[in-house]
Parts: sequence; C-alpha cells; structure tokens
Amino acid sequence: MDGIAWAASAMTAARTRLEIATENLANVSTGGFRVVRGRGTLGPTGVAIRRERTNAQGSVRWTGGEFDLALVGRGAFRVRDAHGRVVTSRDGAFARAADGTLRDRQGRVLLGVSGALRVPAGARIDDGGRVVRDGRVLDRMTLPSGTSLRAGFLEDSGVDAIAQMVDVLTAERSFESAQKVVSAIDRTREKSASDVARVK
Amino acid sequence: MDRALFAAASGMAAQQRNLDTIADGLANSDVAGFKGSVETFGELVAPGDRGLGTVALGARIRFEQGKLAKSGGPFDLAIDGPGFFTVTDAAGRRSYTRDGAFARAADGALRNAAGLRLQGVTMPNDALSATVGEDGTIRATFASGTRAIGRVGVVEFPSPENLRSIGGATFQATPAAGRPREVALGTPDGPKLRFGMLERSNVSIVDAMMQILTAQRAYEANAKGVQAADEMLRIANNLQRG
Repeated sequence: MDGIAWAASAMTAARTRLEIATENLANVSTGGFRVVRGRGTLGPTGVAIRRERTNAQGSVRWTGGEFDLALVGRGAFRVRDAHGRVVTSRDGAFARAADGTLRDRQGRVLLGVSGALRVPAGARIDDGGRVVRDGRVLDRMTLPSGTSLRAGFLEDSGVDAIAQMVDVLTAERSFESAQKVVSAIDRTREKSASDVARVK
Repeated sequence: MDRALFAAASGMAAQQRNLDTIADGLANSDVAGFKGSVETFGELVAPGDRGLGTVALGARIRFEQGKLAKSGGPFDLAIDGPGFFTVTDAAGRRSYTRDGAFARAADGALRNAAGLRLQGVTMPNDALSATVGEDGTIRATFASGTRAIGRVGVVEFPSPENLRSIGGATFQATPAAGRPREVALGTPDGPKLRFGMLERSNVSIVDAMMQILTAQRAYEANAKGVQAADEMLRIANNLQRG
C-alpha cells in the first residue's frame, strides 16, 4: 500500500466515526437506545472502523405510566412486529390495547412466555415480569437472571451528548489532517513528475 | 446517500416534532382537564444493524390525574380517578372530555366552554340550583324542596391511549380504544365526582420549560453534526486544490 492509500483509508475511517457519532446524537432522546461505538483496527488495507453496540444501562426515570416498563440489567423485551417477526427492544413505553395486549409506539406486541402477553383490567406487572391480579399470576415474560423490571419507569437513551459532540469534532479534524497528508504526497509526486524529470 | 448527513438531519427533524409537542402542552396548560403528551422516538436501523438515525413516532398522551382545585363555576365537575364525561355537539356527535366546567344554558342543557353538552342531563326550568354527589346523583333545589333529578355518568375505555384528541381536553372514540364502559362512581376506592372543583391540566410548566431546553440543545447538537458532515464533503471536493 502506498501513502495515498493509507491516508485515504484514514479519511474513510474518520468519515465512519462521524457517521457513528451523528447516529448516536440523533438518538439522544430515543428511549432504551444503546450507544454505538466505533473501534479502529489497523489491517493490511489501512485503518478500518468496526461498529459495536455497547451494553451500558441508560438512566431509569420515573414516569408514572402504568405500562411504562424499564429493564434494569441485561436482556431486552421480545416484541412481534406487524410482519410477524420477533425482534428484541429495550424501549419499554407500552400502552394497553383494547384486547389486553401491550403494544409499543411502533405497534409491536410485547411477548410473554406463550405468545402475546395479556394484561386484563385490574392486573399489574411486578418486578419479576409477572402479570399479577389479586395475588394470582396470570401470565409472565422471561427475564435473564439478575434482571428486574420496573413498572412506571422508562429507560432513557444511553447517549452522552457531550461525548458524541467531541467525537464529531475529533472525526472532523482527523479527516482534515488525513486530507493534508494526501495533498502533501500529491505535491511531492507532482514535483517529481514535472520538476525532477524536466528536460531543458 | 450520505449517512452522517441523513442521521444528523433525522435527529433535527425529530427534535422539531418534539418541540411542537411540548409547545402544544404549554399552550393548553390552562385548559381544565387537559392531558399533556410526550413525543416518542424510535431508532432507524437498516439490515445488518446499520443505524440511519432516528424517527419521531408520535406523541403519547399521558392520562395522569391533574390537580383538583376549587373553582367558582355554578356547575363545575371534576373526575377524581380515571374516566371521561360523555358530551355531544350540536349535531349529536359524541365525544369524551375531562373538562367539567359546565354551565346551565337557557334550554336546561349543561354545556362546557367548547359548547359541548353533557349527555343525559337536562335541568328543569323551575330548578333554582343543583349539586352533584360523589356518585354522580344530581340533586336540584326547587321552591318546594330538594329532589334527585338524574345522574352524571362517567365512562372508561379499555385503551384510552388510542383515543383521538380533537383539541383541548376532548377526545373521540376509535375502534382501537375499544367500547366505552360506564364506571361505578362513589365506591370507596373507585373514581368519584367532585362538585365545585375543576381538574387542572397535568402539564407542569416547569417540566415543559426543561424539556424545551433539552430539545433545543439536542436540535443544536444535531445541527452541528450536519455542519461537520457538510464540512467533510467540502474538504473532499477540494482535495485536488490542496
């Protein structure tokens, strides 16, 4: 690999870092959002950035909503989207539908141990993910051991806006420096092409 | 497609929506029985966990009880607990509200400030005054004495979050909200009616101001992201000139 290719890979890496920082910044208000981190590796083709999801717990905030659920610990909610796909999500802002199922703002249905979790009138969800009415367990969802559920709370986005702003600036400057390197190498080559070999 | 530019722009658009929702709450913070909303956001992800930014998913209505306050109105009602008053407009269409600032009209109907009529209640012409009990019973005073003349009903929905807001504290039923069901009033731990009181909106001005500040800064941070992405494109375009 020559110098220009190295510098170009550094420019691409800075670009990817900016993409990751803007993506995190955009989700600064998204409940349960997991921060994405860029990890740089040096390979035979230059610098490459690998995306990684962090697992850091976002802060948990009291909202008072009956079906606002926050997970404290590992794991995620299993939800089924309109196409029948089962996906996981940490966003616990659910509302009860008329049929007793809990749906998030994207219309995805919260799943329990056997299909959609049903919460009849008068029932509530306890910190073990069980649907309880008058002391009887009606339905439950599976939580990893050590994880508890808080009803009436929501998990905020895990994004620290200041750290991400710093990343935006760092990426911008690193892009600029790499560009300076490309220009410097280009000028050297220009010199050797047009001055060194000049025939008088 | 420039991903950084798009992600930052999606953040700006979502925060703009967030500001609209907060402003709507602030504007209605004086309306009796008004329920504030919070904007919700979702992450935009392309296959392979490639993040594309965010999207505003729409406002969620918060039905938390507002504070009850004594008021001077002649027929002010507040619901202490969940539920809605059923009201009808001039064309007889039903809607549901928690705004209980009713007043007696010449035809005996009880109407709130929006001109919506409390369903099922007509005051007799010769009634001098009336009071409403915790269980909804209306007792009117006549020259000859006092007697019960009807009931104020309160209904509940299985899924009130799916009601459609039609302005102020008034909602329309939707299929997703389910069928309205009459609530038993006045039981020891059930909802009660409070006569001579109004429910304040549940929007806290201080909270709303803080949310505005947060949303504004988030908007700015995303705007800086747009600038940075643009700056990179400019540098890349000027590579040749060094």
